[in-house]
Amino acid sequence: MTTFIARRLLQLPVVLLALSLLIFGMMQFLTPEQRAATYVRTEQQAKNIDLIIRQYNLDKGFWAQYTTWLNQVLHGNLGYSKQSHEPVLTTIRKRLPVSTELAIFMFFPTLAFGIWMGTLAATHRDKLIDQFVRVFAIAGWSLPTFVLGIWLLAVLYGYFHCCGIGRADDKYLIEFAKGTLKTYTGMITIDGLLNGRPDVTLSGLKHLVMPVLTYMVVASAQIMRVLRSSMLDVLNSDYVRTARAKGLPERVVNLKHARRNAIIPIVTIAGLMFAFMLEGVFFIEIIFNIPGLGQWAVPAAIQLDFPAVIGIALLTGVIVSIANLVVDILYGIIDPRISFQ
Amino acid sequence: MNPQEMKPEREPWYRSKTFKRFRRNPLAIVGTLLLLAFVLVAFMAPAITAPQLASIPAARPCLRDLGIKRSEVMDTLRNPLSPVFWKATLAPPESCYNIPRDGFSPLPKPPSEKHPMGVSGGGYDVMYGLVWGTRTAFYVGFLVVGITLSIGIVVGGLAGFIGGAVDNFIMRVTDVMLSFPRLVFVMIIAVIFGSGLTTVMLAMAVVGWAGYARFFRGDILRTKAQEFVDAARALGASPMRVFAKHVFPNAIGTLLILASMDVGSIVLAASGFSFLGLGAPVGYADWGQMISFARDYILGSALGTPFDYWYVWVYPSLMLVLFGLAWNLLGDAVRDALDPKS
Repeated sequence: MTTFIARRLLQLPVVLLALSLLIFGMMQFLTPEQRAATYVRTEQQAKNIDLIIRQYNLDKGFWAQYTTWLNQVLHGNLGYSKQSHEPVLTTIRKRLPVSTELAIFMFFPTLAFGIWMGTLAATHRDKLIDQFVRVFAIAGWSLPTFVLGIWLLAVLYGYFHCCGIGRADDKYLIEFAKGTLKTYTGMITIDGLLNGRPDVTLSGLKHLVMPVLTYMVVASAQIMRVLRSSMLDVLNSDYVRTARAKGLPERVVNLKHARRNAIIPIVTIAGLMFAFMLEGVFFIEIIFNIPGLGQWAVPAAIQLDFPAVIGIALLTGVIVSIANLVVDILYGIIDPRISFQ
Repeated sequence: MNPQEMKPEREPWYRSKTFKRFRRNPLAIVGTLLLLAFVLVAFMAPAITAPQLASIPAARPCLRDLGIKRSEVMDTLRNPLSPVFWKATLAPPESCYNIPRDGFSPLPKPPSEKHPMGVSGGGYDVMYGLVWGTRTAFYVGFLVVGITLSIGIVVGGLAGFIGGAVDNFIMRVTDVMLSFPRLVFVMIIAVIFGSGLTTVMLAMAVVGWAGYARFFRGDILRTKAQEFVDAARALGASPMRVFAKHVFPNAIGTLLILASMDVGSIVLAASGFSFLGLGAPVGYADWGQMISFARDYILGSALGTPFDYWYVWVYPSLMLVLFGLAWNLLGDAVRDALDPKS
């Protein structure tokens, strides 16, 4: 197991290098002047663009350009974003915790809900709950995130005023800006506790209701579907019958014997689910006005602010590669039959 | 007896067990009917929107390209005997996909006799956008599925046919493709080539093939392990012949059917990108684009009245959901019918 993890960790830089080559290759569609704009901050620099082109080797061959660019990236210089009027890395540092907080709150309830309902549907096959789950799964899968988000925005926020948009109530955000509340992690729910102010955390949670609900309906549908069908397969297998014949309680058979094996396909599609979640975060940030990465990067893409987009692409590459590694390791924990040779 | 007659008669598809299972599933019928309704709307788009074309002055580019005057619209576009009807139905000029504007007021107008589903901000007729948007939806869905499927078959076929290191490499690439969010690809391509519907379709085609390649490879490996393939090989058929005559035709059926059911989810995803502003431009007949200002209308109206301009976003979002539902019902039923265990 340790050697497997070590080997996968060694593979990581190779994958990232390949990814950086790919992204840099795509940038070759742009002219040197456009690429030089990455490093332009002021009017004065824009006038002397030739200087920048020479400084960053943009008039040289592919490999000279690539190594210069990679060197800059590794030293944290991702360029200057015209959308946020600051260096890309600064913006990412500011917005990443917001998106991370959202993603954590979206991911775990959805996974738990999906697994719970999927199990219930399989153990109560063709009963009312099963029918409900099947209808829910098809309906949820047919609802795009943004459509459900808009509907919830209109009904819950617009009509019932029950849960706010943004990250927290304005008065708390002002306190954060003034410095009376200290920013430790950038995640409101955690910072509230660290400041000893549970009311801030509560406000943050209240503002997470709609985003989490939106994502839960859309994404748990897939989990339910996969878990239901794999659980049905497992429930019909011989060893489950043996477990029942031994006189084990139904609960133990279902949860200990059947579900542990039924969850494996969920881990298999985890990569897909992760990609879907990253997309979901971007959509939800834009609909519910949450100042995370998506709310900055999508308008940046429309405004042709390409340093921002390249920065996001690199960041996504890193996140996705690490997530894949974690999934591979999880695989071994959930299914000890897999050997890491 | 002549050996030709010994051949077992092939069962026609409509008598097969799979089709019977499909036909007996009520959800499949609902999905099929919904989809037929969409096809009908898409086909009849010029006839349905003839009143809008006739009454809104800004519809001129479309009428000019069709070569008719505003006074002739009602007579020609609803008359199957006129050649203009067929031109508008089968090969409408690109300008007809732009929603005609009735004025430039930023405020939406509620449904009226002239505009049965209201007018959105900027004077765009909602019904026109919905009806022609059906065509956009089918166009985007079929084109993207067609391209991704072709790439997927070639790549997956190579991986399954050659195997070994090539297979390993291709599968690693699909791993990365499958776990990379499509939205980021769309953003990269939008930054390089500018945003637009073509950009979205291009990005989705670049990313989408990975799933098909993986699925097809799996089917090829499964088919390769069957006895009739061994038999063909034992008879001395070359590897190329075994692959082309025996493995390929037997492996591809399921993929083709399942992939064609993906049209719905492709359209939902593409409309999401249009919603964000990366896809179809404002005023283009595309459902996602039509919802893109919904957020402003909901948040911009006084508190407690989020449904002031409901007609602007409720209709297009319903169309989208129904379209997705139709394909998903169909896809689910097909998957059930193909599953031998059910």
